[in-house]
Amino acid sequence: MELDVRGEVCPYPMMKAVQAMKKLKGREEVVVITDHAPCLETIPPQAPRHGYAYSIEQTGSPEWRITLTPRVPAEMGGAR
Amino acid sequence: MTTGTNVRASSWAPMRLPAQSIAGGVVLVAALAFSRVAGTAGAVLAPLWLLGMLAGFTLQRSRFCFASAFRDFFLFGQSRILNGILVGLAISTAGFALLMFRQVPFPQFGALPNEAHILPVGLSTVFGGVLFGIGMVLAGGCSSGSLYRVGEGYVASAVAVVGMVVGLGLLAFQWNWWWDGVISNEPKLWLPGRLPGGYGAAVALTFAGIAGAFVLGLWWETRQGFGGGLPARAADAEAPAGVRARLGALWRRVFVDGWSPVMGGAVLGVTGLLMYLAAQPFGVTGELSRWAQGSTRALDLGPGVLKGLDAIGGCAARAGEGGVLTGTFAITVGVIVGSLIAALFSGEFKLRFPPHKRRYAQALVGGLAMGYASGLAIGCTIGAFFSSIPSLSVSGWVFGASLAGGAWIGVRILERIP
Repeated sequence: MELDVRGEVCPYPMMKAVQAMKKLKGREEVVVITDHAPCLETIPPQAPRHGYAYSIEQTGSPEWRITLTPRVPAEMGGAR
Repeated sequence: MTTGTNVRASSWAPMRLPAQSIAGGVVLVAALAFSRVAGTAGAVLAPLWLLGMLAGFTLQRSRFCFASAFRDFFLFGQSRILNGILVGLAISTAGFALLMFRQVPFPQFGALPNEAHILPVGLSTVFGGVLFGIGMVLAGGCSSGSLYRVGEGYVASAVAVVGMVVGLGLLAFQWNWWWDGVISNEPKLWLPGRLPGGYGAAVALTFAGIAGAFVLGLWWETRQGFGGGLPARAADAEAPAGVRARLGALWRRVFVDGWSPVMGGAVLGVTGLLMYLAAQPFGVTGELSRWAQGSTRALDLGPGVLKGLDAIGGCAARAGEGGVLTGTFAITVGVIVGSLIAALFSGEFKLRFPPHKRRYAQALVGGLAMGYASGLAIGCTIGAFFSSIPSLSVSGWVFGASLAGGAWIGVRILERIP
């Protein structure tokens, strides 16, 4: 699932990322595209709470791609 | 710009246009030159301008945000930025106490130190704090937050600043009503003058309050399931070798990577202290208030004489201060310019338009609320809180607690706006 939240400021990017992680429950990865630097501080701490790991990639100036990957994808996603 | 491929930029080769760094250098030189111009209007304006720039630079680098400190605490149980604020408050408190002691060595006789942000406490503080808290969450940033985001190119933040100026103008029309009915009866509670232990007791109590807020934050964060702290950034992992590489790494840490909130809070605390040492504590509402009054005067619909403002202190717009170049101008506009410089050097400047039209409405309404509230409380998250608690004033604590309440309400509203 890809969330393009460019132009949005806090807390929307974090709220939307958390909503997505809650909805997907580790079945799918969540990619957040943002140009709001504070997200780099606010979204990562939310990842482990919802069973996700994160990685940040700078894709522009200023633009970042925060990839939230399920920690145990097969176990949670496979059953459904 | 590379297109079509998935650009994977390592921490040592950031995808940033050197043009932004060059522009940053040009703005920096122009801003430094302006400090000479400001200095001719009043000797103290040059240091205040530079300190305002330093504050804006720090706010941008540490992505410091009073709104998020209060909001994220409730919304997601994070107390990282709150801790930065607490560090800044502790540093300012120690320094403010020394400066105030030099002015008023014997506080028990009722004298108050000049320029310290000791503000009336009462309904106006609580109402102002709650309203400001709601406004800053709606607008996505408080007054200092919106100002420094203007420097980063956020269009909606400029709308919020305009909203604040209009809100301050609206309050001016109702000021005399508030003054007669409410504010003139509210006491200015200054801890050193009220406590039997004077400065010692006042500073001890303030530090205890700061420590208490820290422990409360830690408890709440733990309850919400956070271990605290972020994993180390990639840039920290690779240790550069050689003088050039190490200087480069240092440059990155200061000008490109974000600072930790604690670092930001500490620098901001020292900056506020230096402002007070030079002339007046850090505040941004006073200047916006002057813009509001200047506009209403220019349109010839001024609210007339505002009672009690000259003696109230804090971020009240003082009638006596004429001209464009004043201390509040230097600090407030300095914040925007300092943030612009920081944003350009880090490659984070960009004109950003919100993806939904309703964000403009949120910024405007939030700005209006913040403007009205900061007029009422004689300051915002900076003047009535970050500079008021170190002034050993009870008003800072009451405003801070009310801000927290307002932020909580604001979060409930925000959750209904997609």
